[in-house]
Amino acid sequence: MKARLIFVPLAGLAIAGGPAYATVYLSVEQAQQVMFPGATFTPDNRTLTEDQVKVIEKMSGVPVRNKQLKIWRVSTGGWFIVDEVVGKHEYIPFALGLDDKGNVKDVEILEYREAYGGQIRDPEWRRQFVGKGPDAKLQLGRNIRNISGATLSSRHITDGVERLLATYAVVLAKAGH
Amino acid sequence: MRSSLQKLVTERAQPWLGTIVSIRADAPQEVISAAFEEVALIHRLMSFHDAASDVSRVNREAHERPVAVHRYTLEVLDCALRFAAISNGCFDISIGAELVEWGLLPRPEGATARPEGTWHDIQLLSDGSVFFERPLWVDLGGIAKGFAVDRAMERLLAEGAEQAVVNAGGDIRVHGLTEPIRLSAETVTDTMPVLELTDGSVASSSGHLQRRQVQGMTCGPHVHGVRRQPAPADRFVCVLAEQCVAADALTKIVMAEGSKSAGILREFAALAYVHDPDTGWQCISEDED
Repeated sequence: MKARLIFVPLAGLAIAGGPAYATVYLSVEQAQQVMFPGATFTPDNRTLTEDQVKVIEKMSGVPVRNKQLKIWRVSTGGWFIVDEVVGKHEYIPFALGLDDKGNVKDVEILEYREAYGGQIRDPEWRRQFVGKGPDAKLQLGRNIRNISGATLSSRHITDGVERLLATYAVVLAKAGH
Repeated sequence: MRSSLQKLVTERAQPWLGTIVSIRADAPQEVISAAFEEVALIHRLMSFHDAASDVSRVNREAHERPVAVHRYTLEVLDCALRFAAISNGCFDISIGAELVEWGLLPRPEGATARPEGTWHDIQLLSDGSVFFERPLWVDLGGIAKGFAVDRAMERLLAEGAEQAVVNAGGDIRVHGLTEPIRLSAETVTDTMPVLELTDGSVASSSGHLQRRQVQGMTCGPHVHGVRRQPAPADRFVCVLAEQCVAADALTKIVMAEGSKSAGILREFAALAYVHDPDTGWQCISEDED
């Protein structure tokens, strides 16, 4: 085990590109190849009607915020959908792979921004960083990450998947593939 | 040896175990996928919410007849019983009953009376099945994430990864990093605590996020197994250990027992950093090698 706890004076820290740690995990193309290796993808975007939105919301119990759907048909069978959910503070884009029966194959989070605690978003708290430690090695948001439970973000993604499964039933199941 | 080549480092994240699990390793996508499959399997086996999981099956039936479970479930139960014994029941997976009562877990389908059993009633039989002498509800939320992180890491290393990070919502194991990961906690005064980790595991707990008022008590998600009362909801605990399952379980013991858990931490060559609003930061079990 190799670890140490250090106490960093706040005045020695620099803020890197905002108060959050952003991680880009996969591009859309990478997620496609992870879920359906070797397949080709044909865009099949849809726009939901008001009636479809109502049915989807009733089926899933999750509100539909965006009627535009980014969908691809997969050459080897199944569907690939890119969507996003609202996390604690920001959007979390994710990809859902469905097999040809509409069952969940994979869920991949494409990008995740970790929010820092309330005190770090607070402008008063952040003011102490301004103009200090421009050459500090440690940068908040770049190489220091917050210990985060991410419980809420996880629940929102689960809800998002439920919503897309209802969307599949309403919009895609009949299309067959 | 692949180590002579510049390996591509990949990081991916998926929602499992009620949190976001991220895996970073110098390994091909298939290897990362295989590590996620371990996590997904443990999610399916140990969910309190899913009526078909091993956990739901034993909670429903194991007081009536022995229930066969997956070897991973057996392994986690065995591990949980060891932590229960060493902590004199302070760590007790039968706290499902309290967490249901406080509204932190859903009531199992068809359940009526609150079960009274404790970890003493759990029997792991030689044929790999589980039997409860009295009805009880196990909740593996305090240990399954750490176990999943260990299985994912083992898989990565078995497939040839040399540098890896597995993070299940703050239960983290790292291996062979040249540049440490740095973690900060939210308890901030005029200095920010930053943990640097290059090898080993860390788990942390803070009752803040999920606490609520029940029957005049402030209840966080952590329960003292013996007193059956919530652990201090303002305490922040961070435990370092070799295995993530140990870090995860020990976090709950330190959360409930504070500095009294020093002896137990030493047995696992672990150490804990604890923050209480009144006393500030404290390191428990400083005699690490």
